[in-house]
Amino acid sequence: MVREPLPVRPSPRPVSGKRDAKHVRRVWEPYQILILTWQGGVRRLCWLPGRVTYARNLLLGSSGTFLPVKGFFSMATVSYRKATRIYPGTQKPAVDALDLEIQDGEFLVLVGPSGCGKSTSLRMLAGLEDVDQGGIYIDDRDVTNLPPKARDIAMVFQNYALYPHMTVYENMAFALKLRKTPKHEIDVRVKKAAQMLQLEDYLGRKPKALSGGQRQRVAMGRAIVREPQVFLMDEPLSNLDAKLRVQTRSQIAGLQKELGITTVYVTHDQIEAMTMGHRVAVMLDGVLQQVASPRELYDRPQNVFVAGFIGSPAMNIKKVQLNQDGAVFASLVLPLTREQLAAARAEGGDNQVIVGFRPEDCDLVSASEGGLPIEVELVEDLGAEANVYGHAAVNGSNERFVVRTDRRHMPDMGETVYIKPRVGQHHAFNAATEQRI
Amino acid sequence: MRHGKYPLLLAFLLPPLAIYGYFVVSPYAQTFLVAATDWQGLSPDYNFVGLDNFKRLWHDEYVWNALLHNVWLLLLLPVLTIALSLFLATMLNVGGRGGRGTVRGVRGSGIYKVVYFAPQMLSVSIIGVLWTQIYDPRGGLLNGLLRAVGLDGLAQVWLGDPNFAFWALLAVMVWSNVGFYVVLFGAAMQAVPRDIYEAAALDGAGRTRTLLRITVPLLWDTIQVAWVYLAIIAMDGFAIVQIMTRGGPDFSTDVVGERLYDTSFGESKFGYGSAIGVVMFFLTLSITVLALRVTRRERIELS
Repeated sequence: MVREPLPVRPSPRPVSGKRDAKHVRRVWEPYQILILTWQGGVRRLCWLPGRVTYARNLLLGSSGTFLPVKGFFSMATVSYRKATRIYPGTQKPAVDALDLEIQDGEFLVLVGPSGCGKSTSLRMLAGLEDVDQGGIYIDDRDVTNLPPKARDIAMVFQNYALYPHMTVYENMAFALKLRKTPKHEIDVRVKKAAQMLQLEDYLGRKPKALSGGQRQRVAMGRAIVREPQVFLMDEPLSNLDAKLRVQTRSQIAGLQKELGITTVYVTHDQIEAMTMGHRVAVMLDGVLQQVASPRELYDRPQNVFVAGFIGSPAMNIKKVQLNQDGAVFASLVLPLTREQLAAARAEGGDNQVIVGFRPEDCDLVSASEGGLPIEVELVEDLGAEANVYGHAAVNGSNERFVVRTDRRHMPDMGETVYIKPRVGQHHAFNAATEQRI
Repeated sequence: MRHGKYPLLLAFLLPPLAIYGYFVVSPYAQTFLVAATDWQGLSPDYNFVGLDNFKRLWHDEYVWNALLHNVWLLLLLPVLTIALSLFLATMLNVGGRGGRGTVRGVRGSGIYKVVYFAPQMLSVSIIGVLWTQIYDPRGGLLNGLLRAVGLDGLAQVWLGDPNFAFWALLAVMVWSNVGFYVVLFGAAMQAVPRDIYEAAALDGAGRTRTLLRITVPLLWDTIQVAWVYLAIIAMDGFAIVQIMTRGGPDFSTDVVGERLYDTSFGESKFGYGSAIGVVMFFLTLSITVLALRVTRRERIELS
């Protein structure tokens, strides 16, 4: 059957056709255009596939309820799929096949020592760094090769990167102006963000007339007014003094909770990581070591590096001999399960095992109770409790140990104390692979 | 050191100051005197004529014609040169995004830098001779190129046609100056923290927006200096004109400097020539002051 070709309809003007490619071009009937224009919102109307994003004026009225309406404007998942970055002229990847899924509205912290690739990972997501292999997806949209401006991402830089020639207001409004957001809406959004960040009194100032903490808040504000799909923060607190850092830490965490925007946060400070993140991703030498909740990371570190990196003072980690019952610490034997023993002997374990126990997971005992004898050389009195540092001879070498103890049982320097890790509170790792067993 | 300070300072300061005073300042001063005479330049005789030279100057249409060309240069040369150098410097230093966000120059920017800077290493006379050859109506490179691509109709007697000569000279001036400002602006751009450009990229600014909204305001101090330099070059323009056209054809490329030279050394009217020189001095001075005033702005602090 030959079908008649459909009569060609005179094509109505696509209203938001000039905007970014991500917006679906919707064809409007002339009467709809008329109504929308009358409501003053043509420009504000852009549809993301499947969900309403920016139709605030139309749907919420213009009473100023643009900012944070939790769950109303779009949030997004982020996934790194085998994303790799190799800097030109180097062999070793700065980020090596990173696989990471970040949930909608999640606060994920990337943590690791300097040079571990955490900032590079963040910049790859922002589009400021090329992705050599693999891909990055935001909401299942492949953004690997998109320029930064097409990714709908806002970033807070370590040095804030405020525009020095613009006032606080202009700094915050810049991105909105570029998107041709109507003036009064810019005004409402900037003022609202300024109110959230207590910046109202500084809107007319240039960045150079602000303190470090205020600059940091402006950088935050600049990200907030954008209402992006994803927030990126690259060590935003590292330029603040200790007290302000603690304050701002909780402020940022609170703000993120309130806005519910997916956030990726880079830091080298494990306390920041543990206190702020819903989940924490630990990286080393461009390789992701473990992603887990702070609790899980602390209680079940997957390998020796994570075990040593998370926690302060660091876990006591020693490589010792195995016997049929467990790990031998001189006079002390830490019991291991049958499975652990088998796993420790596999994969080139060489009858050795790496055992770790946290400073707070051991007790000071009397000499008769069979603890490990330690010669105390430093006692840190922290007020609530005390850290005891000392040496002990283990398998012929002199090893350093840290124990956290109650203040009332604080030993003196030079004294010999006996420590005993609590049963079931120690961690065991294969001596060759350094993986948890 | 305390007591011997001043003799030592003076020993270093005085000789150069004396030389500067004798060879630069005193001729300037003498010019003011000569401008009030009818000195012919060759004989030692002259009469004081007061402000007659200046009155005559006011009614001299050739001087006005030359001044008009200077004004055109003053309007066009800085704008064109600065715009072009800003564009090139942006491309060389931060423009090469290739669709990505990384802040770097376009591919091969090192080579381009050398190429753009090359004219700066030639003396003005060589530039003049070089471009006279390029503009040569028969064997010149420009017409040769136009004919080679079949645009015979566009081939012109570039320096011989009053309609084109001025623009031909302007092009040479822009060409010879651009390289220096590309380097100047490039150095200033390198001083801007990269993350400001990255923030702009994330905020959604393309190349043009970044240039206009970020780079230009941050480089304003440098641009201002460039503007003053170029304004002074535009008020002068003598060397290129003298070498390439001597103000012709039909005075279509005449500038005040050329008029001064012609009047003094060509027509041997040194008194009148000096009067032109005095006027030029004040014009340049006031334009410099004006340019610095107009472009003055609050100093921006790069973090």
